[in-house]
Amino acid sequence: MIRLWLKGFFAAHFGRLAAAVVGLALPVALLGSLGAFVVASSESMARRAVASLPADWQVLLVPGADAATVIDAIGNAARYENLQSAGYADTEGFSAITGGTTQTTGPGKVLGLETDYRQLFPGQLELNLGSWDGVLIAAQTAANLHVAPGDTVTIRLVGGSPVDVRIAGVVALPNADSMFQAIGVSRNIAPQAPPDNVLLMPMSEWRTVFAQQASARPDTVRTQIHVRLDHAVLPPDPSAAFVQAQRAANNFEARVAGSAALADNLAARLDAVRADSLYARVLFLFLGIPGVILALLVTLAVASSGSERRRREQALLRLRGASLLQLLRLAAIEAAAVAGLGTVIGLLLAVVVALTWWRLQNLGLVMPWLVLVVAVGLGFGIAASLVPAWMDATGTSIAAARAEMDRPVPSLWQRLYLDVVILGAGGVVFWMVARTGYEIVLAPEGIAQTSVHYEAFLAPLCFWIGGGLLWLRLSRWALGRGQGAVAVLLTPLSANLGPIIVASLSRQQRRMARGVALVALAFAFATATAIFNSTYNAQSRVDAELTNGADVTLTGTTSHPASELLTELRAIPGVAAAEPMMHRFAYVGADLQDMFGINPTMIGKLTTISNAYFANHDAGKSLALLAETPDGVLVSQETVDDFQLQPGDRLNLRLQNASDNQYHVVPFKFIGVVREFPTAPKDSFLVANADYIAKQAGSDASEVVLLRTSGDAEAVAADARKLAVKRGGTKVTTLGETQALISSSLTAVDLRGLTALELGFAVLMIAGVTGLVLALGLSERRRSFTILSALGATPRQLGAFLWSEGLIIVVGGAVMGIAVGFGIAYALVTLLSGVFDPPPETLTVPWLYVTVALATALLCGSIAIAGTLTLSKKPDLEALRGG
Amino acid sequence: MPDILVEGKEVTRRFSQGGSDIYALQPASFEIRAGDRIALLGRSGSGKSTLLHLIAGLDTPTGGLLRWPALGPHDALRPGFVGIVFQAPSLIPTLNVVENIEVPLRIAGNISSPQTRALAALESLGLADITDKVPDELSGGQAQRVALARAIALKPRLILADEPTGQLDQSIARQTVDALLNSLEGSDAALLVATHDPSAARRMKTTWLMDHGRLQLTAMAEST
Ligand SMILES: Nc1ncnc2c1ncn2[C@@H]1O[C@H](COP(=O)(O)OP(=O)(O)OP(=O)(O)O)[C@@H](O)[C@H]1O
Ligand SMILES: [Mg+2]
Repeated sequence: MIRLWLKGFFAAHFGRLAAAVVGLALPVALLGSLGAFVVASSESMARRAVASLPADWQVLLVPGADAATVIDAIGNAARYENLQSAGYADTEGFSAITGGTTQTTGPGKVLGLETDYRQLFPGQLELNLGSWDGVLIAAQTAANLHVAPGDTVTIRLVGGSPVDVRIAGVVALPNADSMFQAIGVSRNIAPQAPPDNVLLMPMSEWRTVFAQQASARPDTVRTQIHVRLDHAVLPPDPSAAFVQAQRAANNFEARVAGSAALADNLAARLDAVRADSLYARVLFLFLGIPGVILALLVTLAVASSGSERRRREQALLRLRGASLLQLLRLAAIEAAAVAGLGTVIGLLLAVVVALTWWRLQNLGLVMPWLVLVVAVGLGFGIAASLVPAWMDATGTSIAAARAEMDRPVPSLWQRLYLDVVILGAGGVVFWMVARTGYEIVLAPEGIAQTSVHYEAFLAPLCFWIGGGLLWLRLSRWALGRGQGAVAVLLTPLSANLGPIIVASLSRQQRRMARGVALVALAFAFATATAIFNSTYNAQSRVDAELTNGADVTLTGTTSHPASELLTELRAIPGVAAAEPMMHRFAYVGADLQDMFGINPTMIGKLTTISNAYFANHDAGKSLALLAETPDGVLVSQETVDDFQLQPGDRLNLRLQNASDNQYHVVPFKFIGVVREFPTAPKDSFLVANADYIAKQAGSDASEVVLLRTSGDAEAVAADARKLAVKRGGTKVTTLGETQALISSSLTAVDLRGLTALELGFAVLMIAGVTGLVLALGLSERRRSFTILSALGATPRQLGAFLWSEGLIIVVGGAVMGIAVGFGIAYALVTLLSGVFDPPPETLTVPWLYVTVALATALLCGSIAIAGTLTLSKKPDLEALRGG
Repeated sequence: MPDILVEGKEVTRRFSQGGSDIYALQPASFEIRAGDRIALLGRSGSGKSTLLHLIAGLDTPTGGLLRWPALGPHDALRPGFVGIVFQAPSLIPTLNVVENIEVPLRIAGNISSPQTRALAALESLGLADITDKVPDELSGGQAQRVALARAIALKPRLILADEPTGQLDQSIARQTVDALLNSLEGSDAALLVATHDPSAARRMKTTWLMDHGRLQLTAMAEST
């Protein structure tokens, strides 16, 4: 009998069961793919971070140590792919004679590299000018000495006679920080800046040149072994990979004790990524979980709907002699079928998303997560359909429905003002986290333990729950005491039916409030996610802009300044604005710093100048101050500390003059602290007026040109490259390239897939929720509409009932949801400010998306209402005939 | 001669069900005039409700001709000219008693103070003390009388009452008919009540009989 009944049952209820399966499959798919995103992004973050690392280990040999023994130790401690010796020699300086003047530098370094070094360690060297074959010179040194390929440079050896070399090429050393790091010194000592003056020689030539110096002053001529390890053996999780990398390093250090020191670039890089991968997890928690909960609530609403129908069926089965136990068994079979099918479909979707969208390399990595998702899906799916069936079978739901109809009593939470209490608690948590400076993720450098302040999540959680309860309270209030006002608001729609429509809705205020809250939840989720994501994207753009300077940036040298191309650049179609910027060097005391010469009134039109870039004033004030003070200079905090500067103080800098290529003292006036600036390095630098520098240094050449594009930046860059080829050494970079390149920062994690998934899901939820809340509610009350229609209500009057209900649910829900969504987005951006560098100043609101969400809600609500309206237009005479 | 409110010529209602046809109403010809008091007697399933729905303009005949000479086309009858009491419970569960009665008044649209009118209708049926209750809180008899109050609130020219049968006991049925007749004392509205109960029929001037879809018109009440 049961089998027959089941067959009939599934045939008769295909539509509803399919809806329940889809309702479960969606949250399962979302939960599964979000988890997979965290795993995949952590993995790709780690992979990308270590892939761009030129040398994983730099092993410094103690003078006299045996290289072969150390290499053996490396092989025993870790699996490596390549390894090569590099010579590091100190010199007293370089000099060159060009155009009749002699330039001299301070102490510099000369590296000895094997000829295939650049192939084995890609990313260490980039050729700017000339050829690879022979002696290479660092770009900054070439600028200081005014030399180009073909020129001769004299090396002043330590305690030896000078040696002349011919320059073959000019190179950039993008990785100079780690290439020249101090090895074997305590971590606590501040990292030393890379040397300004560097020459690179073929290893054989280097050995010959420094042979004598090596024996006389062994402390000035050292050998490093650069190692590229086998990355395939690293675990995919950055934290685990960090631990393993550190273990290998410890093992090596124990083996070579005393004869070599290690700089572990690999561990250092993984260390930096570790915090970012933890942030990815936090993002998942903050942004993803509310969506999953929303989806589960919708599933619950679908499952518990149609209780009238279920009661009828159950009564019929009881009549045929089925016991309560048998009824529940049938319900359990239905629940298991729905839960099983829904979970399997959801899981498949998640796997497809993980493999195709997240490009997960190894599905095994997410297995534990997927197992958990299956458990949640099955458990929730079964409970969601079994509990309402049980409530119907035992009559609990009828009693509850009666109670609601009679006199709506405020729930316990309402009388306790639990919503207000929870919101307040969220505020307190928020305030406490804010007080600690939003340090949510802690991954102290070099220490294996990490900690995430998950309790900070309590703040948005409280906002969600408190907001949800507040929605319930407000909508119940509006339909209770606020009835009169609501009726007045509905007058244009309902004509003189208003009072009874509102009276009818107020007797269903629990159902209505639940509908409003569900729609509001969907809107809050969509709004919060969209605002957070837009802010995040805008910020990652700011981040890239800070690095690249503008949409397209041309970087030349002092001898070949990019500003010579200015008129041609301005003529490129798609260029909205082009402005030159000087990039020179200046001595602050003994320290050579980058110096940027700008036009303070124009720079803001080219690139984002954020308030966070300055310490004393906001961006506008700082630039205005610079514009007012021709000899003004903005300097780094470090410089302020070193020289005890007060605003208005005179600061003497030494600038290279074009007439004699020598550095001369130029007086500046200190006006403020600059922390960051487009294209500026992370360490100390200076910003001053281009006009003043031009006058004092005798040259108005601008090394850099910033372009803002109105169209396709890549096309503009392509045209600019054609121009730049004419002057060798001018580099053209775009924002897009830079954005893809900044790999250690989380803002570089491609959130586009996640955003698309979340935003798509949010709109789907809004569509589903509004359609569902209305369609479910309306189909259950078709009988009332039949009566109205039999009493002579016109379609317009029937419509007034339906549209009033729809409008209250959709508009009420949307307004409350969007409002709370803004609040939550603000809280998230503030709490997660650690993700951003620099933190955003304002929220970026994607109005288009919010509008689309609203339109979707109205459209789906309208479809549900129009559907019910056509169904109720012809009265269902069967229902009135009785019997 | 009073106005002819309803005029039926060979009116037929056929239902097709699973390939076979059911004649719920065999060709029937009849007239209802203003002031008529008609009892429609017949066993369960004989077609009483079917006929009432046709006369109310809720349903359309499958054959014959049905007109409302003094009232207008079939879609202009409700709520103003024809008031109906349905056989099944027909109060809107989310409205209380007064509001339920206000519904047709507000649908009609031209009533100045619907609530006062509704309260007056309730008063006339002795229901003044239950105005605030919702349908779930009413007894079957009370609910039926509220439905009656709703049917007469607009003072229609034709009242159709499909008397509840089966679930309600005889005395309630009688009370309902009594209340209805009392409230129509002196008005020239026509009344057609479908009932099982011959004693209710005795109180009407005219009795119509339904049997297996066949309508028999009898001019005078039976003497038994
Ligand atoms: N929609 C329908 N489809 C098929 N048959 C129908 C339909 N509606 C009514 N009938 C049939 O028409 C006949 C008349 O039904 P009706 O409800 O008019 O009887 P009734 O006299 O009002 O009975 P009761 O006293 O029980 O209310 C019945 O045989 C019924 O089964
Ligand atoms: Mg009937």
